[in-house]
Amino acid sequence: MKKLLALFALMFALTFVSAACLPAQELDPSQILKPPTNDWPTFNGDYTGRRYSPLTQINKDNVGSLALAWAFQSHSQGLQSMPLEVDGILYISGGNQIWAVDARTGRQIWHFVRPGFPPGGGNKGVAMWKNHLYMNTFDAQLLCVDAQTGKMLWQVQIADPALKAFGTVAPLVVGNHLIEGTSGDTADLPGFLESINPVDGKIEWRWDSMPKPNDPAWNTWPHDTDVITRGGGMTWLTGTYDPELNLIYWGTGNPHPVENGDTRVGANLYTCSIVALNPDTGKLVWYFQSSPHDTHDWDTVMTPVLFDGTFKGKPRKMLAQANKNGMFFVLDRTNGQALLSEPFVPANWFSGFNKRGEPIPAKDKEPQPDGVLVSGGVGTNWQAPSFDPQTGLFYVNSRETMGVFYLTMPGKNAEGWAGRDFFLGSKSMLKAIDYQTGKTSWEHTANGRGGSSGILTTAGHLLFTADDAQNLVALDPASGKVLWHMYPGGGLGTGPMTYELDNRQYVVFPVDGVVYGFALPEALSASSPNLGQ
Amino acid sequence: MIAIEASPRETKRRRSASDGVDALAWENLHLKKLAILTILVLSAVTLLRAQAGAPPGAAPGQGRPGGRNPAQKEAEAAAADRGSTLFKENCAVCHGENLTGGRGPDLIRSSLVRHDKNGDLIGPVVTGGRADKGMPAFPFTQAQVSDLIAFIQAQLALFDLHTRFSPYPNDIPASRLATGSVEAGKSYFDAHCSSCHSPTGDLAHVASKYNPPDLEVRFLYPSGTPSTAIVTLPSGEKYEGTLLVNDGFNVAIQGKDGWYHSWPSNGVKIEVHDPLAAHEALLEKYTDADMHNIFTYLETLK
Repeated sequence: MKKLLALFALMFALTFVSAACLPAQELDPSQILKPPTNDWPTFNGDYTGRRYSPLTQINKDNVGSLALAWAFQSHSQGLQSMPLEVDGILYISGGNQIWAVDARTGRQIWHFVRPGFPPGGGNKGVAMWKNHLYMNTFDAQLLCVDAQTGKMLWQVQIADPALKAFGTVAPLVVGNHLIEGTSGDTADLPGFLESINPVDGKIEWRWDSMPKPNDPAWNTWPHDTDVITRGGGMTWLTGTYDPELNLIYWGTGNPHPVENGDTRVGANLYTCSIVALNPDTGKLVWYFQSSPHDTHDWDTVMTPVLFDGTFKGKPRKMLAQANKNGMFFVLDRTNGQALLSEPFVPANWFSGFNKRGEPIPAKDKEPQPDGVLVSGGVGTNWQAPSFDPQTGLFYVNSRETMGVFYLTMPGKNAEGWAGRDFFLGSKSMLKAIDYQTGKTSWEHTANGRGGSSGILTTAGHLLFTADDAQNLVALDPASGKVLWHMYPGGGLGTGPMTYELDNRQYVVFPVDGVVYGFALPEALSASSPNLGQ
Repeated sequence: MIAIEASPRETKRRRSASDGVDALAWENLHLKKLAILTILVLSAVTLLRAQAGAPPGAAPGQGRPGGRNPAQKEAEAAAADRGSTLFKENCAVCHGENLTGGRGPDLIRSSLVRHDKNGDLIGPVVTGGRADKGMPAFPFTQAQVSDLIAFIQAQLALFDLHTRFSPYPNDIPASRLATGSVEAGKSYFDAHCSSCHSPTGDLAHVASKYNPPDLEVRFLYPSGTPSTAIVTLPSGEKYEGTLLVNDGFNVAIQGKDGWYHSWPSNGVKIEVHDPLAAHEALLEKYTDADMHNIFTYLETLK
């Protein structure tokens, strides 16, 4: 009997031990609260949106030896998906499709194609919660896919595609909630954020970009027309989250009708704003409007990047954003108070700042039937910036443009797109911005006109991106000096990401239809311990 | 634009089985505006058929653009023309000439209109009226209703296409852009442009060559004009040609001999001539009045 008990005990212990040793392939939402080391479990790697990795195996002394470890051929053009990496598996999306790929070798594990739908086109990325993946689609559905098998479990309609709503945004997982936005600019529809139950797709709360009558922001719209119902304020890029303050930060898009302000006199809240919401209730805590009464399509969806530090000698919890309107903003993220508002490219569309630090639009630079010349536009786009706490610099791929804006549908009956714009003579460069002053510390250009790729920084004193001539590059984030480069045969559709497996650090670049995994040569990896863990 | 032929019948959320639509190849998309264009196309062509209760693998919609021949397109345009006349005579007084509403509702943003399929929602409203809302019944034949729908769908497509996508709208009339002064434009031209350009030489009849918005954008910045470069090798040998690459790592030109040549950037001397440099410098200096004056002057060079 004793022997039998001992055997049982041994079996129990073995079961327990082996279970404990099995890698957990699921993603427990609490794991996202830890900074990314081994994994890259969310769109931005972690909740801060800094896109800064503590990994150091690849560093500024050895990055010159960086070599191709593997390549994954998706056979699908124009990937703009930020891959996730969880326990050795990469999850990469495209329109109506997801690939699970071995993160050590680049070999495909499974390929999900939405039944009955044509795969292709862009998708910003998936979200993972436990053993489920979530992806938005061009017909504004949210799909739930089994991460182990690649089989679709369910889909729910998020918005109405007949009104030209669509979805490419990667949802944000906060605890047991999916925070979800939507896109669409064509037919005048209002934007929103929703919290969705990851188990069954049911809505838990909804925050509308358009204020309600009991909100003071209601008065930033005229009410002799129904223009407020036409909305805008689309929420088409993933936001960030501060677990201590329990606030999510999200950018909203432009108001409708686009490029015609005649019918919507006022600031038009909460369009072109950074909003801070309570993730449990969807209640607005504060807002900052980066383009009041926008008439230039200056969406504010660019990543609100969160970091702590001193500002003018005082410790602050900050939020920084490089905006499409050419402005760099630093806010106190506890209350939305502007600490710094400064253009990072030449900009003539504003006449100054109001006392909240928000730009005041220049009336004479609103689109006109015979055209106006506007600078500062599309100073940057949705591709991710990065903040490196080691240098205190904020990095953004920027453009200096002159645009001609025509009002093609004047008057109060305008709908959807009411203007047309051309951007001329754009100069591209990567800028390193000192968050204390908003001034550019250094800039880098390859004399091209393409620069719109995302950025990654690491504790190995490295900055990875693609330059404006499409070269993949590693730069010294303190000086901008080029330390490594490679032409990959196409454009980096999103940004780079990094993770470490078996003491080997990988840097991944999705380029057109190919995903490249770079690492140090195996012999070098073995002798170069990762001090970041 | 294509008629919307498969739309969700309801806007409320639902769990749905996915089912079949037509495959449509589409392009690599990088920017939101391109994504929107895709949506315009996709929504019209492959818009979701995933409706509650629809059987998996249900038949795809008909009449997709890939399957339309010129005769069909012509027939649709003719139907829209007939519908336009009907609309003007009967509907415009309340719904506005361009459907954006007036006494009656805006039809461009109408959920009912957006969800209509071959007249199944619009038809009964037209022929039955909405007595409660003051809309009379119109005793149209089925063919007339079809014409009306063709017109409404064409108008919706026009509004939805009213984006910055070339070529729509590229029909901005010269009269709308030529708000400046010919004299002021000419004197600006003489002072700043005449060292490189001549109204009787390279710019003779330029206003006849380009439509008005293209002419304006091209004089502001004729993008696409390549730079040239002279590359001097350590030996002193010089190569001259059209500059193709100059990214700091490598320099490449198409030489005057017609061949491609490239070198690592370090070790060679590179002299770049950018014919657009003068335009780039002016671009930062133009006032809006300068732009209007120059356009107004150039528009006289028919």
